[in-house]
Amino acid sequence: MSNHDDFDDKLAALKGLNPPAPNEARRNQALDAAMLAFDAEQKHATQGSSIISRLSSMFANARRNFVMDNRLTYGLGTAAVALLLLPLGYQLYTSTAITPVGVPPVTVTTTAEPAPLGGEAEQTVEVLVNGTAAMETPTADLEIRLDDRGEASPPVEEGEADMAVMAPAPEAAPLGEVAKPVMRTLAQPGGAQPQMSAGVQPLSEPFAEPMMVAPTDPSGDTFAKFTESPVKIVKNEPVSTFSIDVDTAAYSYVRRALNEGWVPEPDAVRIEELVNYFSYDYPAATDAATPFKPTVSVYPTPWNDKTQLVQIGIKGYVPPVTEDKASNLVFLLDTSGSMDQPDKLPLLKRAFGLLVDQLGENDTVSIVAYAGSAGVVLEPTSGSEKTKILSALDNLSAGGSTAGAAGIELAYQLAEQHKVTGGVNRVILATDGDFNVGIDDPEDLKTYIKNKRDGGVFLSVLGFGSGNLGDDTMQALAQNGNGNASYIDSFKEAQKVLVADAGGTLDTIAKDVKIQVEFNPAVVSEYRLIGYETRALNREDFNNDKVDAGDVGAGTMVTALYEITPVGSGAELNDPLRYETDAAATPDAAAATEFGFLKLRYKEPDSDTSKLIEVPIGKDLAVDSLEAASADDRWAAAVAAFGQKLKGSVYGDMAWADIRKLAQGARGEDEAGYRAEFMGMIDMAAVLRPNVVPATPIDETEVAPEPEVVPEPEMTPVPEAVPAPEAVPVN
Amino acid sequence: MPRESSNLVQRSFALMPQFIDTKVAEPPRVADEALIAKAIGGDRRAFGQLVERHYDFIFRTACKWCGKVSDAEDVAQDVCVKLASILRSFDGRSAFTSWLYRVTLNAVRDMQRARSRRGRNVDRYAEVAPDEYLPDQEDSAAAKEMWDAVRRLPDQQRDAVLLIYAEGMSHAEAGVIMGCKEATVSWHVHEAKKTLRGLL
Repeated sequence: MSNHDDFDDKLAALKGLNPPAPNEARRNQALDAAMLAFDAEQKHATQGSSIISRLSSMFANARRNFVMDNRLTYGLGTAAVALLLLPLGYQLYTSTAITPVGVPPVTVTTTAEPAPLGGEAEQTVEVLVNGTAAMETPTADLEIRLDDRGEASPPVEEGEADMAVMAPAPEAAPLGEVAKPVMRTLAQPGGAQPQMSAGVQPLSEPFAEPMMVAPTDPSGDTFAKFTESPVKIVKNEPVSTFSIDVDTAAYSYVRRALNEGWVPEPDAVRIEELVNYFSYDYPAATDAATPFKPTVSVYPTPWNDKTQLVQIGIKGYVPPVTEDKASNLVFLLDTSGSMDQPDKLPLLKRAFGLLVDQLGENDTVSIVAYAGSAGVVLEPTSGSEKTKILSALDNLSAGGSTAGAAGIELAYQLAEQHKVTGGVNRVILATDGDFNVGIDDPEDLKTYIKNKRDGGVFLSVLGFGSGNLGDDTMQALAQNGNGNASYIDSFKEAQKVLVADAGGTLDTIAKDVKIQVEFNPAVVSEYRLIGYETRALNREDFNNDKVDAGDVGAGTMVTALYEITPVGSGAELNDPLRYETDAAATPDAAAATEFGFLKLRYKEPDSDTSKLIEVPIGKDLAVDSLEAASADDRWAAAVAAFGQKLKGSVYGDMAWADIRKLAQGARGEDEAGYRAEFMGMIDMAAVLRPNVVPATPIDETEVAPEPEVVPEPEMTPVPEAVPAPEAVPVN
Repeated sequence: MPRESSNLVQRSFALMPQFIDTKVAEPPRVADEALIAKAIGGDRRAFGQLVERHYDFIFRTACKWCGKVSDAEDVAQDVCVKLASILRSFDGRSAFTSWLYRVTLNAVRDMQRARSRRGRNVDRYAEVAPDEYLPDQEDSAAAKEMWDAVRRLPDQQRDAVLLIYAEGMSHAEAGVIMGCKEATVSWHVHEAKKTLRGLL
């Protein structure tokens, strides 16, 4: 044992060896070489130009110093190769036109020789997209991909494609195989999109499913998980209760995703927020005493001819312009390093500039930054001193990587100091997802915001950018702060949220608005609430004023849709019970004339007790055909159908073309162009997520019924309906 | 990452105080992590500062490891050049100096392997090399002998012994640099001792 210790001592002698100080000349030489390599690296990373000459000159220097010793070149050679390959590979991976951000590199299969149609392609060669080739031809020949199971797809080449599409029906199965790889390529956001042709869609039917379940998810953003509200049986559960939702963040997020060419994850698609994004022509309430009145309409469901939609619309009271409410706004702005992107801090500055433009001398603005440059950026300043406010905004810069000070407490402190009674007191939090505002625990943060809300200072949240967006947290904070969460993806959206809808964003006219609908089992057998999954309330919560719910701002419009199945329509998804006694279900005459009964509770902004509005949903409200429904109704139905299809809902699948047609007929005047923009989103979604149900031919008479969704490809009346040659996008 | 960086700064210097030789370099004013982030973002000056700050560390490490000043200089330059391209692969999970230590060790090893491939020419050259690195006067011949013996050990045993006895690290710290578990480090040390007893 002692031997062991001795040995440790001996080993300790290793420590006694002190290397000499480095030679200054060699040190400088190494540093110069490093800088040279760094410059080459940077140049390469940005331009991809050759650096070989510069590096070799460096080698020459090294050789001169160590004439006999060629060891050195080994190491430098390694470095040179690393310098060349690393950035080259990195750049090709990230920046070629065909490689979408966040999507794995594309594998291309080139076929050596066309194999017989419908047969297995045996001579396929798998090649990774070659960097240079990809750069030279951004929309390179990416027609074919291997499918998930690793089976080689039948070749699709110039002439082959035509044959494939024009082939007669019995060959439908192999046709599907042909179509599938094509679809997959199209599903990749990128240059291939314009080549999409509606004609291929039916071909893909048996194969669309695997793609549907795997939407591209490059976002890194987080969303609250929810499952779609199920169909309920009126006899078991006649009452449906939910809180209204005035947010529109989901719509902007979906729009951004589609415009960038990827399908948002299902949880990002909250249908009620999609529907609520648009303005509808509901009659407004006339005075602040009853801040809104519900508008109800009933019309046939576009995706199911046996059911009906019940649309409940609310429009908040709009105070006359003369009532200039003083506002006390505190901007709580995220200036963490991650905000340093064009669609974040710079957009935020311009967005808040818009808001500042509308303020008057009654109003005060303060700015607090958190993360990065933390602290009070602007002491409370009158809205008339616009230059001062704007220059304070302008001087904000994103930077710093660590958590800031107690930003949120500072913001509320300022808001409370300058609180205006009877006016708008609001903290507006703008972030890309970093909620390190000083309170770490999300629950504590919610409680804090809730307490402040009860003290009269509300909170709104504006989300920016993607990749880090904490959508779930945004929603939760805004809901607890009696505010709304909006997602700002563009200057146009900033204009909508902060200017066009500024009243709704800032000026709350009613809070804790809850809706409860009781359906009449004599008339309605089943119902389903579309959307509002994240806002569901318990039946007993409706009358409990302590339960928080959504808030309505001035002029805000809220729409809710139910799909109902009338008794005896045959569209019930649940079979009748064998042992059910119908004795109790003999309604009186009055009840048989109503679908149900709508109850709505709200509180005035400063009140703690709720008021009740009740409206029967009479059968007389129903219209027989979709055409007889108002344009707004049809528009809402189209948006709901769009949302359901985009998220892959199990209910009501319509073909994209049919959704488009429905929306097209309901656009109305659309002065701000929001509805036109939505039409573009339908087109984009149709490309990214092709139909499961074949579209009804647009130009033909409306006789062709939509075929059922059946797995057998033979059932689809495919080839005749397809305009052949341009169906498969082959260059 | 950003939120953790403050911890990282503390860790990097608390863990290995001996890496920062106060006689040579003042304690850095800007945290390494900040410089790294800037350098990855393309900031030339930050990169220069970073390399300058750590050159001595790289050189000394290389010097101990290969035992010859000229080799150490080559390795150090090699590492500096490499840093330009591999810096972005530093993920912040370990301290920068730990990472740099590993990079330097790998460079030493690469050089030695290349030399052994190249055969005896270089060995012959090495024997007559005038820049054989000499220990301080007070160091006994025993220390030099021990170093020579240790350098002949298999790579991992040598690394483990040097990290623990020459650098005075704990087994856990050595594990971080060698990229293996603490227990593995202990085992390498154990094996190394067995071998060394035979040699000495």
